[in-house]
Order: sequence, then C-alpha cells, then structure tokens
Amino acid sequence: MPMKKNWLRDYIIKRLFFALIVALGILTVTFILVRIGPTSPADKYLANIAARGQDVSQAVAAIEARYGLDKPLYEQYINYVANLGRGDWGWSFSTSMPVIELIKTHWIYSFQLIFLSSILGALVGILIGILSAVRQYSKTDYIATFFSFIGISIPNFWLGVMLILLFSVKLGLFKTYYDSGIPIFSLDNLRQLTLPVITITTGMLAGYTRYTRSAMLDNLRKEFVRTARAKGLPERTVIGKHVFRNAVLPLITIIMFDLGSIVFAGAYFTEIVFGIPGLGRISFNAIFADDYAVVVTVTLISAFLILMINLITDITYTYLDPRIRYD
Amino acid sequence: MEKAILSVRNLKTYFFTQRGTIKAVDGIDFDLLPSECLCLVGESGCGKTVTALSILGLIDSPPGRIVAGEVVYHDVNLLKSSREQVRQIRGKEIAMIFQDAQSALNPVLTIGDQIAEQIKLHLKFSRREAKERTVSLLKEVGIPSPAEAADYYPHQLSGGMKQRAMIAMSLSCDPQILIADEPTTAVDVTIKAQILDIFRRLKETRQMSLLFITHELGVVSEIGDRMVVMYAGRLAETATVAELLGNPRHPYTVGLINCLPDMTQGNDRLQSIPGTVPSLIEPTNGCLFHPRCDKALAICRRQKEPSVLVNQGHSVFCHLYSPAETSQPC
Amino acid sequence: MTNWLASINYITGKVGGIRKLILILMAALLGVTILLDVLVVEKIFDPLGYLYIALGTLAVLYGIYPLYTSRRLVGYYWERASQNRLAVAGLAFILFLILLALIGPFFTTDPTATNFEEKNIPPLGFTIEESVYHPETQQSISKTITGSGKHPLGTDNKGRDLLAMIVSGARISLQVGLLATGIAVALGTLIGVTSAYLGGKIDNILMRFTDIMMTFPFFLLLVFIVFIFGPNLAFIVLVIGLTGWTGTARLVRSETLSLRTREFIMAAKALGASDSRIILAHLVPNVISLIIVIATLSIPGVILAEAGLSFIGLGDPSVTSWGMVLRAGQQNLDTAWWVAVAPGVMLFLTVLAFNFMGDGLRDAFDPRSAV
Repeated sequence: MPMKKNWLRDYIIKRLFFALIVALGILTVTFILVRIGPTSPADKYLANIAARGQDVSQAVAAIEARYGLDKPLYEQYINYVANLGRGDWGWSFSTSMPVIELIKTHWIYSFQLIFLSSILGALVGILIGILSAVRQYSKTDYIATFFSFIGISIPNFWLGVMLILLFSVKLGLFKTYYDSGIPIFSLDNLRQLTLPVITITTGMLAGYTRYTRSAMLDNLRKEFVRTARAKGLPERTVIGKHVFRNAVLPLITIIMFDLGSIVFAGAYFTEIVFGIPGLGRISFNAIFADDYAVVVTVTLISAFLILMINLITDITYTYLDPRIRYD
Repeated sequence: MEKAILSVRNLKTYFFTQRGTIKAVDGIDFDLLPSECLCLVGESGCGKTVTALSILGLIDSPPGRIVAGEVVYHDVNLLKSSREQVRQIRGKEIAMIFQDAQSALNPVLTIGDQIAEQIKLHLKFSRREAKERTVSLLKEVGIPSPAEAADYYPHQLSGGMKQRAMIAMSLSCDPQILIADEPTTAVDVTIKAQILDIFRRLKETRQMSLLFITHELGVVSEIGDRMVVMYAGRLAETATVAELLGNPRHPYTVGLINCLPDMTQGNDRLQSIPGTVPSLIEPTNGCLFHPRCDKALAICRRQKEPSVLVNQGHSVFCHLYSPAETSQPC
Repeated sequence: MTNWLASINYITGKVGGIRKLILILMAALLGVTILLDVLVVEKIFDPLGYLYIALGTLAVLYGIYPLYTSRRLVGYYWERASQNRLAVAGLAFILFLILLALIGPFFTTDPTATNFEEKNIPPLGFTIEESVYHPETQQSISKTITGSGKHPLGTDNKGRDLLAMIVSGARISLQVGLLATGIAVALGTLIGVTSAYLGGKIDNILMRFTDIMMTFPFFLLLVFIVFIFGPNLAFIVLVIGLTGWTGTARLVRSETLSLRTREFIMAAKALGASDSRIILAHLVPNVISLIIVIATLSIPGVILAEAGLSFIGLGDPSVTSWGMVLRAGQQNLDTAWWVAVAPGVMLFLTVLAFNFMGDGLRDAFDPRSAV
C-alpha cells in the first residue's frame, strides 16, 4: 500500500506538534504557578540570605537582573522559556551551584534505581500476570491476585521504612543509609540497592501483574485463540504469540499511563526514605531550603520525561499495531 | 459399506454453569466416510458447533466438558488420547474453518504469517518453503495477487477474502478431514456463491472428507452427499441428501423443509415451525421436540425417542416410526 | 396553597426539573454564604465545611436519590457484590474507620498533647529496654519500659498518645479521601460527559487539555503546588481534586460516547430537551455505576497522596495525619519502632479496603461477569 509511508509521516509530525504544544503548556503552567504563588522565589531567597547575615541589596540586584522582575510579564515568560531551552536552569543557592550541574551529578542515582526496578517489575509482573490469566480461578491465580492487591495497596514509603526496620535495624543485614561513596557500577552498590529496589518494585510488580492478567483475559476467550488451537499449535505458542501479541498493546498504554504515578512517585519516596541522592532527594532537600529553582526543575524534568516517553510509545505503537495505521 | 474415517459415538458434551447443566450435545452418533461431504444441519444453538469443537478437543473447560462418548479417527479414540496426540492431529489431519473469519483470524499477525506458522509446525518446512506454499494456497482459493496478500493484515482484506484466507489456512497441511462451521453464514450472498464454489472444487480436486455445518438446506442440497439433522443436542434424522430432502420422515425435518420458500408453487407465505427451541437445562424424559410437534403421541412426553431404520442408510429418531408404537395421539 | 404549588411547578418547569432547582438554590446559597464569609463576618464555615455542603448536595441529588429510586436494581447489585467476601470485608473495615473517625476523638486524649515524662512507651504487651543518660552520675542506666493500658498503642518520643494520633489521622485521611475524590469525580464526570456529548471542537479542546494535565506526574505536581502555596488541609484537598479528575474524565467520556447514540438519548433530543437537561438528567444517571466504581478506586490514591505529602513534610502542620506520624516514626526507628508501624498499618488497611470494595463493585456492575 503506497499510502502507508505518507500516512505514517503525517502521523508522526502531528504527534510531534502536539508534544510541542503540551511542552509549552507545561512551561506555562509552572510559570503561572510560580508567579501567582503567595511568595515569590526572590522573597524566599532573600529571606534566606538575610538569615545568614549576608548583604541583601547585592542579592536583590542580582535577582532582578536574572529574572528580569522589573520587565513586563510576557518578557519574563519568554526569558523563562529561553533560559530553560539554553540549559540555564537557574542557580541553586542551597548547594551554591547551577541547577544543571546539580542535576548532572545526581540523575544517575535516580536512573539506576528506576532502571533496575522497572526491568525487574515488568519482567516478573508480566510473567505472573500471564500465568495468573492462563490458570484463571486456580490456586495460583487466587494467590497472585491476593498478593497483587496487597502490593498495590501498601504505601511505598511505609514499606521502605518497614524494610529498614526489619532488615537494617533489627537484623543488621543492610546499612540503614545509602552510601554514595560506593561506585555505581559495583557489586556493593547493587547490594545496597536491594531494599530500595524491592520498595519500588513491589507496587510496580503488583500493578503490572493485574494489568497483564486482565489484558490476557480480554484476549484469551477471543475466537482467534480457538483458531490457533485448531491449527494444532502448542499451548506455549498460542499464549506467547497469539494472545500475548494482542494483550501487549493495551498493556503498554496502561504502563506508560502509570509511569508518573507509580514509577516516578515511587522513586521519589524511595530516595527520600533510603537517602539515595537522586533527583527526588535533591528536590526534597530543596523544599526545606526553599530552593525554588531546584524544585521547579525536577518537576519539569519528570514532566518532560513522561511527555517524551509517551511520544515514543505513540510512535512505536503505529509500528506494533497494524490496525491503527489506517484508522 | 465403506469404513468410516471418523466415527462419533454417543457423544455428550455438557456445560456446567451456575444456572444448571446445559446439555449442548446429548448422545449423538454419526460416521464420516472417506471423501464424502457430510452436512450437519440444525437451528442455531442445536449443538452443531459444539459437536465440531468436541471432535477437535477444543471445548473450553470450564465450563464445558465431554462427559461421555467416543470420537474414533483411524481406529484411535481422540477423547482417550493424550493432549499432545490430539494436538498433532489438529490442523494437520483434521482442520477446521470457523464461521466468522473476521474474529477467527488474529488481528495483529499477517495472513501469510498465520498460514505459514502451521506449515512450519506440522510439515517441518523451512521459512522459504512455507512462504511458497502459503502463496500457492492463497492462489488455490482464488485470492488475487497472492504474494502481496500474504503480507496483509486481516483488517486489510474484505470479508470474502478473509474467509478464503481462512480456507487456505485450513488446507495448508492437506488434512484428511475438513470441518467447516457455517463458512457461508457471515458473508454476503454473492460471496457465498463463490465460497461454495471453492468447496465444490475442493471436493473434486482433493481426497478429503468434509464435515459441513450449516443451517441452510439450500447449501446442503448444493454440496452435501449425506446429511445429519440435529435438534436440541440430539439427532433427528440421518440419510443421504437426496433421500432426506425427497422423503423426510421426522416431523422436525418436514417442518424445516416446509420453511423453505418454494419458488415453483408460488406459495405467498413462508411457513414456520411453531414454538421455540427448548431450554437445554430443564430435564425432559421424552422427546425434546414433542412440545412443537403436531404429530406428538402420548409416549413422546414420557420416553426418549428410539432410533428407527426406515430405509437403507436412513435412520429417524422418532416414536412415530417405532414398530411397537400403537399409542393414541395426545 | 395551590398558588404556591403552581408557582413552584412553573419555576421547576422553567429551569428543567426539581433537581436542577435545588441545585441552583444550593449554589446561590453557598455563593451568598461565601460572600458574607469573605466580606462581612469571618468564619461562618471553614473551607472544608463548604466542600462538605457542596459535595453533599451533589451526592444526594445525583448519587443517593437516583439510587433510592431504583432500589430493586441496587438490591440486585448488592446481592452480587456481597458474594465477594473481600469486598464485604473491605466495606466492614471502612465502616469501622468511619466510626473511629466520628466517635473516636471523644474517647481519646488530645493527639497533640506532649508529655516528656511518658515518652517512648511501647504498645500494650510489649517491653523495651531503654538506656537513660543521667547527667549527675554521667552514666547510662538501662531502664525497662512496659506498655500499659493508659496508652494502648504506646507513645512517641514526645510522649504523645499514639492511639489518639491514629484516630485523628483516620479523620484526616477519610476527609481528604472523600472530599478530594468528590471534587475530582464531579469535575471529571462533567468534563467527560460534556466532551463526549458535545463532541467536535469542544471535545477536542477538552481532551487535549486532559492530555496535558495527564502528562504531569500527579504527585510531583502536587508537591510543587503545595510547596509554592503552602500546606493547608483545605487547599490540599482542593488541589488533589482539581488535578485528579483526568482519569475519570477519560473513562466517563468513552462510556458516554457509547451512550450518546442510544435510542433514549435520541428520543430525549427529539422531544426537544435542552443539552444541559440531556447531560444532567439522562447521561449522568446512566454512568453512575461507572462513577461509583471510579470514586471507590480513586480514594486510595488520594489518601496515599495526602499521606505522602505529610510524610515528606508538606502536610498541614495544624492537624495530625498518618503520614505525619509515620514521618516522626521513621526518624526514631531504633528507639520507638511502633510509631512507624501503626500509622502505616492503618494506611495500608484503609487503602486495601477501598481497593477490595472497588474491585467487588466493578465486578458486580460488570454485565460480562454475570453468569
């Protein structure tokens, strides 16, 4: 079909355009929120400087120059967007370094955590989900369903605290705090990530188990499954190829949809509980230091990450699902 | 008489639901002879499809279960064979075509993929050989530009083309038996004629037995050799197509034939059989058809219908033809 | 007398039904009270009070009243839901929690009262060894502390009664859970139904807006807003409600889309019903079962969001919530583990109970699961 290529290109362009609009929306919303907040970032900054007994007037001048607070609002907005675009994400006064430097040194801690737990959670969750669906109403299914309920209901931050209480405080198997002195690519680091990874993965795994189970069940009773069986295909192929191929598409959508609430929020809490110096932890510290630029940046980074992942998913989707190309 | 390639004996398939046991197929017998076309006829819900699925061991369990009977294929009782043995036979020796190709084909795999998969599995063909065979099969069932069509996804084909692809798929391993479950019901009238043509041609070109499930007597008369009439999970009558259409005995069969619009006689009203298909849950001792039967006898309510051989190869399951029967009409 | 009735009839006829009349009257009343509150006298109701009144009215008009008029259907669904033992257990726990929140405070002490004489007392039935440093002798003496009936769940490091804090936390969690979910679901329903019913440009704009909202990681957005505007319970409820409607809007929209072309909507249109009447009187009641399920399943997320905020220190400092107690407990894990355990267990059980109940309701409402 000659139409295919053009259609796909148009679709991708449309998606990119929409992503751009969303990105502007995100920037606008954060800009407005910061501006209409009861205290401006400058006030908090100045209060901090004054509290430390430093010269306020110098700081005032610096801030006015930086944020252009004397300029009209639309100019401030354009400045804000342009600065972000240039990689000038502001100055973190609580750590005395540019925010971008702060992010550069800390992102890896979040990434390792999210990377390890996402892979573990997705693999195990999908596997249990498939098993649970194939053996619907069996003992395996009941046990898996029950535990997935517990998994999605257990507050992530409480689970982390309880794991520390049990394995670190009472049993002394792990250190109570994450040691950032240990190199990232080392066995020791993997060891100290055990409890944090369990903390995030529990909720993820439970969620993925439930989604996979229901997506598989939606397709297991479809007629094409009967056709596949009538062809004499081994059950392994019927489930793994015919059913799973159909279940995986809605599954991806749901998993992407939950990225922000399960994965990012999960990592945020886990970093705080275990003291892992990732983006969640620096945002947490910044909240208490009233360090605006850091809080804004971390929020923006996660929003943009989700936007990008959604975009990639959308585009991959067109390759994975033959049906939506011609809609 | 020739030795049957497939014999179904006293097959009982029940569905166990919360509202009770549904006796979808309740003790039926028939033989499929080599190279013949046997038609399984009856209203929807009378157990035709369940019979076909039972033969291939494809009944969803739970809720369904085959509670009794034998399905003998080449001296092997499929119901007693291991799952693995039955799986080896499915698709390779006994293939099946489903009613609605739209939902019977996997939407996310190409037509070629779905056909070649089976060839690679059963005939141990290489990728390329399987692809070649796929294309020649698509050609055999009359799909234009078959090489290209193999790369299409089901939704890119029209209903008729999908049904053809489905037929090509079932033929892919040269099965000895082909079970076709109402292959002409879900397609347009014009396509229906073409599909029937394909079956007629297959009958001539291939040494293959055909178990053709349908509710249309017109279709039966076009391609059937022998036919079995089912009612509510039980047999009503069985004979050759010519004998049965020309000389029907069972009141239900007579009713079915009367329902056909008769073009030659100019009847201006279509006839119908009064009443509805009985619930398959409530137990009845007698003949299941008796509430709708205008010739019902007293015994029909109490006793299960006997099998009566009324002619060479023509059996009818009805008290009316029982030699011992002398009861009064009720 | 008859004049009265006639005029009421006339007015209801004009605005489109008694339900809408009550709705308009309530909205006007609330508006006047808020104006009075702001301009003339202070504190007629606190902000949460307004939310209760507004959502209570909506719930009665569009939730309880329709359910009451279709008692037989409700009975049928109840029968189906009650076969799910986990759902019934969930409901029982929620009822217990409501009772705890309503009458618990009358039986417990002030959750904020500190008493350093009685700090770190373990729960009833537990005994701990604590080393106490004596400044005079400059030595640590090991002291045994046993839990007593006075503080059944023990106390924290400031001597606050844990039971009292748990009871107070139950109140906060339920309030936040019900109110924020109420706002989110009401808003989501309105947006979803409107979007689906009107279609075209409006649908496009509303759904694109929903997409943008959905791109924000919900919890981080919450942290961001509360960080900027400061922690206040009513504000937190409002923010959760105003940001948490997106999922509801999408689900309700797709459900409405399938209803839109049904005969009874066509019939209402043919009879000349206005758009707002069709939306409020025909479409909303038909998605009510979906809304009940969404609401039940949204409450856990909302409760967890508030607890999470409190846990990271962005909770309302004037109230004692579970997240806050957990935060205090985390900092003293080695001396008083029970302070971290108790609020977490409550939080976990509450979330689990709502999840069980929501799941049971979904199955009960799902026609596909009827065999």
